[in-house]
Amino acid sequence: MQDIPSSTLLVLVPLLPLVGAILTVALGRTLGSRAHVPAIIGIAASAAVAVTLLFGMVRQVGVGNSGHDQQVQQVQPVEMVTTLWEWADIPNAQAAGGTTAASFSIPVALRLDPLTSTLLVIITCVGLLVAIYSIGYMHGDPGYPRFFALFSMFVFSMTMLVAASNFLLVYVFWEAVGACSYLLIGFWFTKPEAAKAAKKAFLVNRVGDFGLAVATFLLWMTYGTLNFHDTVLSDGTAVPGILGVTRLADASGYVGGAVGSAICLLLLLAACGKSAQLPLHVWLPDAMEGPTPASALIHAATMVTAGIYLIARSGPLFVACPGALTLVSIVGATTALIAALIGTVQNDLKRVLAYSTISQLGYMFASLGTGTLLGFSAAIFHLVTHAFFKALLFLGAGSVMHSMGGVIDMRRFGGLRRVMPITAVTFLVGSLALAGVAPFAGFFSKDEILASLHSRGWPDTHGEHQEAVPAGGHAMTATSLRLVSVTPDASQLAGGDRVSRLDALNQPATWRLLFWMSLVTAGLTAFYSFRAVFMTFTGPTRVPEEAGHHAHGAAGSAAHESPPVMTIPLVILAVASAVSGWWLFSTHSLATFLAATPSFTASSIASTATPPVFHWDLAIQGTLAAAAGIVVAALGHLGKRSDGPQMERFLGPLETLFANRFYFDQIYAGLIIKPLEFVATLAALIDRYLIDGTVDLVARLPLALGGLVRHLQSGLVQRYALAGVIGMLLIVLALVARAMG
Amino acid sequence: MTPSPLVLDGLVVGAILFALGLVGILARRNLIVMFLCAELMLQGISVSLVSWSRHHGDWGGHVLVIFVLAVAACEAAVALVFVLQAFARTGRLDSAAWQSLRESNLPRTIDHELPAIDTMPLRFPKLFPAGVEPPVDQDALLEREHV
Amino acid sequence: MIASVLPAISPGTLLAAAVTSTAASLWLLLPRGQIGAAERRSRWLGGLLGLAALGCFIATGHRLGGLGEETVFLIVSLVAVISGAATVVTRSPVYSAIWFAMALAGVAGVLLVLGAQFLGVATIVVYAGAILVMFLFVLMLAAPAGLAPYDRVSNEPLLSAVAGAVLLGILSLSIGRLTAEPPLCCRMPSKAAAITGDAAPATGLPAVADMSVDLLAENHVARLGGELFGRHLIAVEVAGVLLLVALVGSIAIVSRAASADGTVAPARRAVP
Repeated sequence: MQDIPSSTLLVLVPLLPLVGAILTVALGRTLGSRAHVPAIIGIAASAAVAVTLLFGMVRQVGVGNSGHDQQVQQVQPVEMVTTLWEWADIPNAQAAGGTTAASFSIPVALRLDPLTSTLLVIITCVGLLVAIYSIGYMHGDPGYPRFFALFSMFVFSMTMLVAASNFLLVYVFWEAVGACSYLLIGFWFTKPEAAKAAKKAFLVNRVGDFGLAVATFLLWMTYGTLNFHDTVLSDGTAVPGILGVTRLADASGYVGGAVGSAICLLLLLAACGKSAQLPLHVWLPDAMEGPTPASALIHAATMVTAGIYLIARSGPLFVACPGALTLVSIVGATTALIAALIGTVQNDLKRVLAYSTISQLGYMFASLGTGTLLGFSAAIFHLVTHAFFKALLFLGAGSVMHSMGGVIDMRRFGGLRRVMPITAVTFLVGSLALAGVAPFAGFFSKDEILASLHSRGWPDTHGEHQEAVPAGGHAMTATSLRLVSVTPDASQLAGGDRVSRLDALNQPATWRLLFWMSLVTAGLTAFYSFRAVFMTFTGPTRVPEEAGHHAHGAAGSAAHESPPVMTIPLVILAVASAVSGWWLFSTHSLATFLAATPSFTASSIASTATPPVFHWDLAIQGTLAAAAGIVVAALGHLGKRSDGPQMERFLGPLETLFANRFYFDQIYAGLIIKPLEFVATLAALIDRYLIDGTVDLVARLPLALGGLVRHLQSGLVQRYALAGVIGMLLIVLALVARAMG
Repeated sequence: MTPSPLVLDGLVVGAILFALGLVGILARRNLIVMFLCAELMLQGISVSLVSWSRHHGDWGGHVLVIFVLAVAACEAAVALVFVLQAFARTGRLDSAAWQSLRESNLPRTIDHELPAIDTMPLRFPKLFPAGVEPPVDQDALLEREHV
Repeated sequence: MIASVLPAISPGTLLAAAVTSTAASLWLLLPRGQIGAAERRSRWLGGLLGLAALGCFIATGHRLGGLGEETVFLIVSLVAVISGAATVVTRSPVYSAIWFAMALAGVAGVLLVLGAQFLGVATIVVYAGAILVMFLFVLMLAAPAGLAPYDRVSNEPLLSAVAGAVLLGILSLSIGRLTAEPPLCCRMPSKAAAITGDAAPATGLPAVADMSVDLLAENHVARLGGELFGRHLIAVEVAGVLLLVALVGSIAIVSRAASADGTVAPARRAVP
């Protein structure tokens, strides 16, 4: 492996799943029930390459050598960019408001840095486990080859998304993963709910994609390039990339004010769409109509974290706009709380997990919004651990669903720990990780998130980095760049007032509120995850009658544990969920590693670095909240029939509100869909009766004129002869009249 | 210059005969009468041709009239065959029996009900068919539409 | 003589009156589904109007060309025209055919007067003797019992009559203009000189009267035959072939149609 340059390896990571996808498409019918072979080989090879790259990157960063006491502020950015080819190269395209001539060049460039390599490993490894699991889960499905082709295609798109070093490429693969998601949600397209859910996911994502597109335009207009990295043009001029080392080293390299805030808010809109945050979260619960492995990989572990990745990658841009940054946290914490509340009353196991995903993504947003290095690394940390335990939970739910003959309503089964012990244990591990119980993974990452929020709410208790908090300290008013000057235009000045109002959100009081919301969410998380565990795996053993149809064992024991091909990935993920948090936190390897990401070496972020500290007070608070949630869940559900009266009904009208998901769908239907339907109906009526009517009229005019004279065509030859004679006479009369003067 | 006597008169007579024949062709419904009228038009033409021949002192008109006679004989032979065929199909010598060329959605042109003739019908000697008449479907004879 | 009775009427007015009365007369005389007294009344009225129209045409002809100088021509042409009109307007096809024979006789007379003796005789022989008999034969073969409905009505009688009358008016008008303005051909050296063998001067116009006299000269039929089998020999041969083709063709059509139809018996069955 040492002989192969890492640029080649980097290309291999997305290329191998792509080849697997193409082979699956080409040979799918031939391979039949072995259609998973090309896809799994491709993803496995890709995972191996990604792990190799990760080790290489770790060695380059020097995590092993650095002790805890090393000054992280002095971390140098580590990145490696491979330009494959120039997609577009337009010299002297007008940019930066038309004042400066700049080349518009879009290189197809892949990058490797700590953030990317971490995500590549997560995507390919979790993807590999889920793919192996799918062999058992999708067995016998008529769309078996199609599933693996889409699956590989998704892995390709997702690795390209995190490896792309250009906003336009990011946009391209942002759409590509959206398309794969659409196709996998609608995998069973003959089912009306699945088709509807796929359509809904696609349409809601369009709103976010719109934001990303406009943000890309604004970035180009503002910075004169779309590249992340620094580039040198053919004529020798150096163009500092948006996230290149040149600009990162410049303290005033990023635009604040109205334009900067607009870019950040649009990026936030994009992230909200993809990561299912308020108010665009409505598609994710419906997306559970897709196959459970697809839900596990795409709608829990990887694709929905693309929004986290985008904001983390654009961190320096956000830090320059404190208002927008604060809004990220507000959106995240609010989403986390609301989704957790909704999750407490769901009875569909997969929907509980879906709302849990939304809630955990909200955590990550809240952490990102702090704008500190701690916040960013905590978000990525949580992303990693969440990928493990949420994939585990989804696969466990899939295992239950597989054994129960497709039934996923928790009220219809119970006590399954006797039927499927492996699934029960692994699911419990996942729930413990999700609930944030020490020493499972979620505990550490959630603790870091709470710590980052706490540091913004009570800056004095975190003394040393108080002045480094970008909130008030940085006056990001400078708009001049070294090579591409940005002229403050009228809109920027006019928008200043609103931007200052947005920035006014950035108060310690706001952050304190967000912290308490997150703490409450932690308790709720523990409650709903253990409610699911208790309802599913404890109490009297009940199995729905649909399970019998799936039995391939003895007739007496209809329900059974899933095959090993499904349980082995569960066990691996359970181990990862159990130990990854402790290992990554105790060595501080992840935080140190991520600090070398170019985006996080911007002076505004790197200056907020804090020595790694385990916050005992926060850990106790978080654990207390989780314990409270677990205890309440145990009181209500442990050992009871899951179809009996539930304790949530004591919430009264609130329960109705939660069960109806805060009426988001109804509000959207009333505010957006119905007016649009009305307009569409109106347009259809206009089209049908006005436009079509006009066209039909034009078509009927000759018919009507013909109808006037068609009565002459009587078929009587004598009438024809008469007409001929009369015509001849008229001609002769005309000639005579002319001849006579 | 004044044409010779009778030339103009001959032309006028020819024109009158031609016009009468034309009216007959256009108005009469009986196929045989229509052909009689066509012959009448040919007679008018003949008179005109002879008049012009007289006017020019040329034999061409005379010769042409001879050819007109020949062509009229041929035409009568072939046309009468067709008339017989038409009669065989419809049982009528009616030119309005043939309307298939009309526009597809137009109704068939039908004569109004005629008042009955109070006088005795005209009787003419005619050839009687030999043997026994086969039964004939009256409606089919009346309504047959296509050739 | 008529011209002196109507001295004040202009030729144009006379022609218009002739056209109008011709149209009215033909319309009245054509079968229009009438019966009884109404039919008789319209016949009488039409006949009177037709006579008036004839008178008008005679007067017009006098004004225009000097018709009526030859009494014989007047008589035979009247016979031809009246019989022709009767051919057109008679309800019964049999009577129509007989009137047509009458018209043929009139036409033959006209041809004789105009100096075409052979043609006059040939018309009688060929038409009245052969063609008309064929017509009658077919009529007897196909005629229904009594007067068929389609013999009692006409197709657009008014329009047809007006069209015919207007055509007649136009023809009369253009014939009348011959006197005022001779057509181009009349100014050319006449071929009559070649026929008669006279050496007419190349530039001068030979007298028309002389040529008419020449046509009426002796050896008329022989010279017509010489012309026919001299200059027009090929046309005569072609006409002979045409007659043969018509003969064979009509036989072929009859035999094939009969075999295709299975029987011609229904044709005999007259359906009014």
